[in-house]
Amino acid sequence: MSLTLPSDRDILVCIFQRGAADGLNALVPHADPDYYTQRSAIAVPAPGNPAGAIDVDGFYGLHPALAPLKALYDAGDLALVHATGVPHGSRSHFSAQGLVERGVADKAGPDTGWLGRQLSITTPASSSAFRSVAISGNVPVSLNGASEPLAISNLGEFNFDQDIVDSGYPAVLSKLFQSPVPFSSPAQAALLAMDELQTANLQAITPGNGAVYPDSDLGNKLKQAGQLIQSSLPVETICLDSDGWDHHENLPVFIDQSLTELADALTAFYTDMGTQMQRITVLVHSEFGRRVAENASFGVDHGTGGLAYLLGGGVNGGQIISDWPGLAPANLEMGEDLRITTDLRAVLTELLDKRLGGTDMNTVFPGFAGPASANVFL
Amino acid sequence: MKKLSVNDLNTLLGSLHSRRNFMKLLGKMAGYPALTSTLGACGGGGGGGDGGVTGVTPAAVIPAASSEFTTLKRTSFGAHRDELAMIQSMGIDAYLERQLNPTQIDDGNLETTLQTLFPLTTQSPAQLISGFPDNIADVALQMISATQYRQMFSKRQLYEVMVEFWSDHFNIHLVNGLGPTLKPEDDRQVIRSHALGNFRDLLHASAKSPAMLFYLDNYANQAAAPNENYARELMELHTLGVDGGYTETDVKEVARCFTGWAIRFPGDPGGDYGTFVFNPAVHDDNAKLVLGNTISATGGQTGGEQVIDLLASHPSTANFIATKLCRRFISDTPDPLSVNAVTAAFTQSNGDIKTTLRALFATTAFRNSADLKICRPAEYLAGLVRALAPDTPYPTDNGQLFYFAQLIMGQLPYYWPTPDGYPDEQAYWASTGGLLNRWRLSFLSLANLIPEIDVIQLDYLSMLNGADTLAMITDAVTSSILMRPLSSADRGHVLAWLSDEYGLAENETLPSGTPQQVAPLIAAVLVSSAYFQLR
Repeated sequence: MSLTLPSDRDILVCIFQRGAADGLNALVPHADPDYYTQRSAIAVPAPGNPAGAIDVDGFYGLHPALAPLKALYDAGDLALVHATGVPHGSRSHFSAQGLVERGVADKAGPDTGWLGRQLSITTPASSSAFRSVAISGNVPVSLNGASEPLAISNLGEFNFDQDIVDSGYPAVLSKLFQSPVPFSSPAQAALLAMDELQTANLQAITPGNGAVYPDSDLGNKLKQAGQLIQSSLPVETICLDSDGWDHHENLPVFIDQSLTELADALTAFYTDMGTQMQRITVLVHSEFGRRVAENASFGVDHGTGGLAYLLGGGVNGGQIISDWPGLAPANLEMGEDLRITTDLRAVLTELLDKRLGGTDMNTVFPGFAGPASANVFL
Repeated sequence: MKKLSVNDLNTLLGSLHSRRNFMKLLGKMAGYPALTSTLGACGGGGGGGDGGVTGVTPAAVIPAASSEFTTLKRTSFGAHRDELAMIQSMGIDAYLERQLNPTQIDDGNLETTLQTLFPLTTQSPAQLISGFPDNIADVALQMISATQYRQMFSKRQLYEVMVEFWSDHFNIHLVNGLGPTLKPEDDRQVIRSHALGNFRDLLHASAKSPAMLFYLDNYANQAAAPNENYARELMELHTLGVDGGYTETDVKEVARCFTGWAIRFPGDPGGDYGTFVFNPAVHDDNAKLVLGNTISATGGQTGGEQVIDLLASHPSTANFIATKLCRRFISDTPDPLSVNAVTAAFTQSNGDIKTTLRALFATTAFRNSADLKICRPAEYLAGLVRALAPDTPYPTDNGQLFYFAQLIMGQLPYYWPTPDGYPDEQAYWASTGGLLNRWRLSFLSLANLIPEIDVIQLDYLSMLNGADTLAMITDAVTSSILMRPLSSADRGHVLAWLSDEYGLAENETLPSGTPQQVAPLIAAVLVSSAYFQLR
């Protein structure tokens, strides 16, 4: 099948938090007394205490490092989905990342990614090589199945000097990488992309509205995403990774660093994009959440339910979306994890349907019976 | 612990070394001499003729490489002229058997050279902690450089391939907390000591390696509330594989078995910093049940050792290791027949790595696997040096050329952040950005645009051996660098391009002194092609 999508659909920016980001210390259920029982040494203090959570609605509070996101939340552009995830039952980073990126709950599903399938059933707006881009050295599994997504870790260096072009080197490479020569497809896409980038002149695009991106890995990636969006390139989907969320030990110190990087980068992007946020949706999620109870090294081991962030003009923001399962031992998954009460695929289906112009849930999320919405978007 | 990113390391290195110039060169190549104008003065036919190459056939297939060539590429970091001659004269079996016994291969003065050039790689944790953290960048650079030098210059190539294999299998991110003080010893005592030894010994050594205990947090694993990180990855990544038959309960039980397996910190009694210590005070000494086997109470340290033995002997481990070896040496999707044969050899030899490799090398699939894999960046970079400058002496200072080349291509040794090691599949490496980075590197290097390239001595004159037409030069460079023929179509593409670029017919004689100016451009194209990147 092929869906022809409306031209005013959103640009999607997907940020995958690699390593299983903890949700409970990011969006703190401070009114759930079991939170403080289970995490007596590492909990974020309740609002009003030193280094306490920033209260959102009397039940949840943001980690202090996420303070910059409060304004986005209050502006109605940020929604947080708690106790979410894909119910795949795996606590292996590598298996779980694969399953979530494939959009399936068990390994019997297709090898392609959910974004790849969405892109493959929808009509491209142009013949540009920039339809889907990973700000990364490699193509993430979620984009598998799309027609040759680009993997570019540094847009500013994705080029040949004019003298090399003049020497005919790219032209002869194009000849030597004709199908069916191995990896001819990425080779041709790279050559095409270079031509397009040269025309687009991204170096001339500077952050708008006085935005200052943090000099961090995620900051640099989102800055490049911003340049792509501001350029004339018809980019539809951008994927990037945020690394280093595997906090088995000393969670309070390390999650503070990770959340600071996240909040500062997202805020800079939001400022940079300005009114363009009306046509952008940012999705932030991880492969699973972390264990409810702390271990003796002040960390948390692998768990189940986690937290997703949705940012954009089309987000029904200023709300926490969660059917809170509770942290009392009897309510926990396998007796120890936050239970998933909102299947992440419901959020993603709604995202594709309302903001990306439409989808076919059975193709993009095979085996998922719904619901097809989680009331995250306008 | 905080995991430093490559950016962080570059910041550290940037203050010490000449990164800026190199990066600038990779980003901008203002100094590129226009070859057309250089040659233009020498005459030949006037501008831009068709060069006599017409009617190029559209079929684009790569002629199969020989078994000897494929074997060489699979078991080394790139074909070297002398080794190709050796495997051709002694035969594949004898060549592999020789490589399986690396201590019997004379490696010249490589190791003593490395000790002089990169002394931090020989130091103990106690020595390295005295300079920590100021020495982080130097330790990292020396560890990376020593590894690259061995991959490029050692004659014990299969051994180095297996060192890389186990470094991925038991991956430890070097610049990770105290990692710089610990990983050098892990590299010597765990990986390099056992790379062609016995898997059980290797696994025991890794379990007690301070670098591993630190990287996967087991040093902080205590009975009161165990830290499961090492226990899980021990089964998922080091032995059984994720589908190897363990449960979440097994993860918890194994974590209990390893409570108290820790490392000594400065001032701790009984030994130096960075040595393994079993701490009974935080060990859970009650009975455990692991994969259906009881680990008795009051066993102390022996409980964890029993777990290691259990896992080393488990059928899932044999299958998991065999599958990974077949993926490394045969194809991304190895056939079950080969995997079964290698699994059986691993099992019957109780994890003897040489016996296991012999079974792999005897499979039909291995012999018929030409061009089924792409070179990873380490193979690509070392392969460039080995093919282009086979006689180059060890550079005493490579100006971080090799470091930045491999950084840019994305496979810096000891730099994969997560415990699964660098991917070993074409889909990961043959990305748009991955290919472009290889193209840029090879073009810049071979067109002599990176001053540091002087560290490898490119001898185009002897490579050309008197060739003085575009056709002869192309054939000479192809033979020397690719060591395999181009298809006639691809040879035609290259010649058509050269003829157009230089305004010369392919059989026209070039003016004296110019063939060695043309050769680098041809070399750059050839190493950018699939011919060179396949293995």
